[in-house]
Amino acid sequence: MPKGLREIRNRIKSVKSTGQITRAMQLVASSKMKRAQDAAKASRDYAELLGEILDTALSKAGEFSHPLLKKREVKTRGILLITPDKGMCGALNGNLTRVAFEIQGAAFVTIGRKGKQALARAGRTLLADFPVSDRANFSEVRPAAEFLIQAFLDGKVDTVEVLYAYFKNTLVQAPRVQRLLPADGLVQQARELRAKLGLPEPKIESDERDMIFEPSASHILNELPGLFFKQAVHQAVLESKASEHSSRMVAMKAATDNSKKIAAALSLEYNKARQAAITQEILELTAGASAQS
Amino acid sequence: MPLSLEIVTPDRRAYQGTADCVNLPTEMGSIGILPGHIPLTAVIAAGEVIVTLGGKVTRLAVDSGFVRIVSDKVSVVTEAAIDEAKIDLRAIEQAEERARVAVEAARGQKEIDPAEIAKMEQILRFAAVQRLVKGRTSQGLTD
Repeated sequence: MPKGLREIRNRIKSVKSTGQITRAMQLVASSKMKRAQDAAKASRDYAELLGEILDTALSKAGEFSHPLLKKREVKTRGILLITPDKGMCGALNGNLTRVAFEIQGAAFVTIGRKGKQALARAGRTLLADFPVSDRANFSEVRPAAEFLIQAFLDGKVDTVEVLYAYFKNTLVQAPRVQRLLPADGLVQQARELRAKLGLPEPKIESDERDMIFEPSASHILNELPGLFFKQAVHQAVLESKASEHSSRMVAMKAATDNSKKIAAALSLEYNKARQAAITQEILELTAGASAQS
Repeated sequence: MPLSLEIVTPDRRAYQGTADCVNLPTEMGSIGILPGHIPLTAVIAAGEVIVTLGGKVTRLAVDSGFVRIVSDKVSVVTEAAIDEAKIDLRAIEQAEERARVAVEAARGQKEIDPAEIAKMEQILRFAAVQRLVKGRTSQGLTD
């Protein structure tokens, strides 16, 4: 067999086996994607409503101070970067780390191996890293949230912001920076993000009358910011998981389709080359035969 | 104009709809909400939410949380909520048993995460509330 033919055949084989792997990854990602998307969408309402309640309560409570609400001069921004643990998910990791690198004068806390690696390589300040499994239970996220609250209270960081891939739909995931601490003006922020992503605006009820608090404003407002913060961090992790699996599913589907296309093109090339070789052989035979007669 | 009511938990929207009257269990006692209620933010205690719409009464068991009432919109955030009709006493018993075993096992160890215990206690509390809500209505039916 001529050398060219064997090379093409080997390439077809390798392209096909790569296609099989990407197809398997696509199937795994799509099954995980469903679960992750449902989880992210289900608890989104909860996190948002908690934020709204906190916001209304703050706007009605008048003078009120809570350590997690206190604004101060921002010297160090605290960024919680949430990335996937693994690659093979399209441009997701690249987009997130690019946004992270644009932020100057920040101390980072990471969830997810990819973000940790990128920041460590770039020599950025990394305060801590918290591993979170694919299930992303609340109990896994809580240590990270408590660490951030402590860092904020100790003055190590002057804000706490999360940078994660916001899940819009299976095809679109946008990197999003969301400030969580100090926890005020959150609804305004959420509204801006919605406008940016072109999502429908929720109706905000307004009521000019004074609000009553039961048992008391301080009782409620002491509890709410901490609860809101933990929930928001958890929500960000869930969103990021949904984005990760969606992005991986799409990337792997593209890779699988591409491998099929390449394999088809190579097969055509292989057949042509084989036919050419046969024709060549016949020509040589007939030439030899006619020379003998 | 009727009230609009939403009850949201971390897993789902447990209730979304209108109501003529809503009874909420707060830390300060049960309160009834009618249209035109003054804005209110309150702490919800584990208990029973009674929704009345057109003479039809729906009961839900809820865990502790918060409620906000602004211009006839009642928003409840709670750790857990379930419609009385869907409460399964058998499942509650099993959940309670599991939680009780876990709490007992955890109490012995020092290393255990206090948040885990809190979660188990939440399950027990919610189970008790569900049983209470269910028991009340089934008694009402037999009388």
